[in-house]
Amino acid sequence: MSLLALTFTLLFVVITMLLSVWQKLDLEKDIAIGTVRAAIQLLAVGYVLQFVFQSKNLLFIVLIICIMIVVAAHNAAKRAKGMSGVVWRIILSIATMEILMMGLLLSLQIIEATPQYIIPLSGMTIGNAMVACGLFLTQLKRETESSKGEIETLLALGATSRQAVQDVLKRSVKFCMIPTIDAMKTVGLVQLPGMMTGMIIAGADPVEAVRYQILIIFVFTSSSAITSMMLSVLCYKNLFTKDLQLKKWSE
Amino acid sequence: MTALFEMKSLTKNYWQTETQMECTYLFSDLTATIDSSERIALLGKSGQGKSTLLRMLALLDNADSGEIRFNGVQAKDMDTRVWRMKITYVAQQAVMLPGTIEENLKTVSKLHNETFNDKHAQKLMKDVGLESIDWAKKAADLSGGEKQRIALVRSLLLAPSILLLDEVTASLDQQSKAYVENLLIKWSEVEKTAFIWVTHDLEQAKKVSERIWYMENGTLAVDCKTESFFEHQHSFSDSVIL
Repeated sequence: MSLLALTFTLLFVVITMLLSVWQKLDLEKDIAIGTVRAAIQLLAVGYVLQFVFQSKNLLFIVLIICIMIVVAAHNAAKRAKGMSGVVWRIILSIATMEILMMGLLLSLQIIEATPQYIIPLSGMTIGNAMVACGLFLTQLKRETESSKGEIETLLALGATSRQAVQDVLKRSVKFCMIPTIDAMKTVGLVQLPGMMTGMIIAGADPVEAVRYQILIIFVFTSSSAITSMMLSVLCYKNLFTKDLQLKKWSE
Repeated sequence: MTALFEMKSLTKNYWQTETQMECTYLFSDLTATIDSSERIALLGKSGQGKSTLLRMLALLDNADSGEIRFNGVQAKDMDTRVWRMKITYVAQQAVMLPGTIEENLKTVSKLHNETFNDKHAQKLMKDVGLESIDWAKKAADLSGGEKQRIALVRSLLLAPSILLLDEVTASLDQQSKAYVENLLIKWSEVEKTAFIWVTHDLEQAKKVSERIWYMENGTLAVDCKTESFFEHQHSFSDSVIL
């Protein structure tokens, strides 16, 4: 795509802004900021990736993946305001998932051990894991608040913290898996996923693009499950005081 | 001789909700003891902190000062889970856990890796008037009164030394109420289980208890034998209207 063609895409932004003005949505400032940020972030990433792909230095790959995980963790942790120490728990969950996923993909030679494969696939799975963590924490908060009676009943019967929230954790993990499972069921019928579409536009064989998309969907399902289950194991004790009482989840 | 249970100078503060600046006490300096199989009715007007006191005794809430002991051992020196198995709280609003009646009844044995005593559970269900209920029924579909009686049976299966009963018959009809009252009196006599029963029903207090604790103005204003309380009721307060 030429730079001129890329510039023309700003027309879509202009249309959105005009609609916002017409409908008095008061979104023009946010749209402008979003447009500038998206352009700068993506162009910067493009240059960084170009540099990393050319250097082929393992250290750069690891560094980029670490940055992705930390940013994803900070973003997902916003869903758990009031819960202390949640960022490092998310980091640990996503990092474990990433090591497992990438370990399997590389050791089984499903993908080539080059930055061109490792970085985009890592970005997509980490992004998916971030969404799963956010959904898990949001639902955990809701479930803990709405199931306070159930949790305290179990505590009063001598349950451990794990026993007292086992069902709450199960329901929260299930909830954050729903979008990925639904996407898996309807892919190709309702939506043509971004990666596949991108590959086809870039001139790749559609069958080859579909193969990679299948890989991504399966990896997404597994990454959601691993991350949310690991996060549930790491987080549940944080719901209780040292006296085995249910904490108030303050904002 | 060491009392079964002892509470000493128990105080609970709370912050004024409007300003969050002023701290005042809900109750202070509550001191009392309980002997084995003693049946106590805890009376007092709403807002005196009776439910909070029960929750504190079950370690579901913390006291701001004071101490509680079971068989001479301080709560902080005892495993919280063991404490709760000995001193068990039954809430005013019975909470049924997800699943069937049978699953609810088996909760205690499942939590503590014990064998479920089917006959014992059946006997208790009969005592609370639920002998003909289908155990495969979803617990969530039961009436409030049925839920409350099953919650009580579930706690009794733990065989605690002290039961903390928070208005457990408030949602029951007269017949079910009588079942529960009789069961708990008999249970206390046979199993040597003590109980503290929060109630606003003076007739019930007279029937089920041997001793009355009466909370007023943030203190344990009265701690006496039940007969004595009802003989001198007029002198304890302007009016014991609960």
